[in-house]
Amino acid sequence: MRLSSETDDLEITERQASRGSPVAARILSRIMMVALAVWFIVELYPVIFLINTSLKTDAEILSTPFALPAAFNFLNYVRVWVGEGANNKPIALYLRNSIVVTVATLALLLAVSSLAGYALARGRFPGSAATQQTFLLCLAVPVHVLIIPVFFMMDRFGLRNDLIGLSLMYTTMGVPFTVLLMRAYFLSFPVEMEEAAQIDGCSRFGVFWRVVLPVSRNAIASMAIINVSWVWSELFFALVLMDRSEAQTMPLAVIAYAPKAMMGESTIGPQFAAMVTAAMPLILVYFLFQRQITKGMTMGAIR
Amino acid sequence: MARGSSGPDNRIAGGEGRGPGSALSNLVPFLAPNTGWRLARWWDRVGIWYLFLTPAILLLLVFFAYPLADSLMLSFYKWKGLGARKFVGLDNFEALLDDRFFWGATWHTLVFALVVTLGTVGIGYLLATVISRRVYGWRAYRIGFYLPVMLSVVVVAALWVRIYEYNWGLLNTFLRAVGLDVLALPWLADVKYALAAVIVVPIWQYAGFPMIVTLAAIEGIPDDLHDAATIDGVSEWQRTWRLIFPLVRPVVASISILQIIFSLKVFDLVWVMTKGSPGNSTAVLGTFLFRQGFETQKYGYASAVAVVMFLIVFTLTYLYQRLVKFDAVEF
Repeated sequence: MRLSSETDDLEITERQASRGSPVAARILSRIMMVALAVWFIVELYPVIFLINTSLKTDAEILSTPFALPAAFNFLNYVRVWVGEGANNKPIALYLRNSIVVTVATLALLLAVSSLAGYALARGRFPGSAATQQTFLLCLAVPVHVLIIPVFFMMDRFGLRNDLIGLSLMYTTMGVPFTVLLMRAYFLSFPVEMEEAAQIDGCSRFGVFWRVVLPVSRNAIASMAIINVSWVWSELFFALVLMDRSEAQTMPLAVIAYAPKAMMGESTIGPQFAAMVTAAMPLILVYFLFQRQITKGMTMGAIR
Repeated sequence: MARGSSGPDNRIAGGEGRGPGSALSNLVPFLAPNTGWRLARWWDRVGIWYLFLTPAILLLLVFFAYPLADSLMLSFYKWKGLGARKFVGLDNFEALLDDRFFWGATWHTLVFALVVTLGTVGIGYLLATVISRRVYGWRAYRIGFYLPVMLSVVVVAALWVRIYEYNWGLLNTFLRAVGLDVLALPWLADVKYALAAVIVVPIWQYAGFPMIVTLAAIEGIPDDLHDAATIDGVSEWQRTWRLIFPLVRPVVASISILQIIFSLKVFDLVWVMTKGSPGNSTAVLGTFLFRQGFETQKYGYASAVAVVMFLIVFTLTYLYQRLVKFDAVEF
């Protein structure tokens, strides 16, 4: 980026300062390696603990939190599968709701955003700059601010406790960011191919549908991957809009399965099973698309 | 003239008129021969883009612009959710100024955002510098450090509630095992430590994010700059702080602002871990807003909180956007 201006700071040439003694350097690098390894354990152990605990009985969880389970025990998963506990529904229901919402949101979001992003990248029409600015401004609004009117609006439309209602809200929340990234992508897309298709008698939409979209599969996949993690994890709007457990999504399942001591339920294991179930899809996505995710996040952050 | 008065029919006709001209003129014989062609051309050059934008704009109008406007409006009213709204002017905001729980929540939010940002960006930067030197096992580190970022905040929060649990929680069990029983505290139940305990969690979860971004920036430094430094015989210390740091500083700055903005919006984490307790010591603007609105049904008052939150985040994000531009990217 601003390479030229920053290189002025590099006056290392004149400063041939004494190099640290090799012994000190080696000790320093050893310390660094140890610190790195320790932080690695700190980062990963809780995740291992999460999976480990989900396979233990309650007695084991309480007495030996660090140990491996005596026998791999899938009882906790069975408990959430049948929906044990007051007001809890089987985990499959929450899972289904989350999948429906995520798939619907992503499909809608990508369709809407690629269309709009393409228009902003290619279109020369009155108001294009203003539209672009509007999307940027939307990005600056914390969505929490919308919650009260959205709650009453959804109530009026009968979209509370409705997976479609939640998906529409999520789509809207994702639109500004995704549109701007799609626009940025289409700007880097060579125009020549589209011009050729137009000369061959293809309409604007035809060009978009038959020429641009097929070539943009990677970009669209990246957008899906970037968005899937927040859609799957969103709590605030789900908490407010989905008060009936039939319509709740996975983040609410994790809360629903929290041990309720006051109601005489002190079982700890099921919540861990619910947590693992909620975390697994994203962990899977991460290991499958690790490169795209880190690249996408970098892009999203730097510009 | 034709464009203005021709109305919706021509839009439809224009939509069907793929090629410039003749087909459309045949469909609309009563227009001047030129008009159909010009309309088709206008549609192809300009009109179609509005159609491309329509779905996005519609969604934003219904689920974004309207709620935003209504939220701003509502902050001047008193409303219990049912019945008529009562206009009270700036009363809600005046009440906010006198509400020590609001100031508490604002203060906690700012502390939270600042410490989390320093923590994640600081740790992330150090990790990136070390990993960029291709130390033994750097691939595993890079993948591992980013893994928690992918977990849902709700899962992470619920997990850390168990880690902080007083009797059998991981942290206290560990402290007791190494003989530090004194330090085995009721982390989330004590007013003194709860906020600090909550703040640790996002630092743990999100340090990988600035790491990945900084790493990309460090690796983007052209080789010839490194070669030049090598020829000049710089030490590794100088390379790290006098070559790499100045070059990635803009990226570190932008990721810091991004992290501050992101942290100011915190809700999920606090809600699942403490709901703002004990004694409101971990309440943040997000949870304060939720409670005022959906627990005590003071929707006008809650909207005033929303407006304050909006102003803080909006100003910061706007400044950020002035600093950083959305340019062309490649995948």
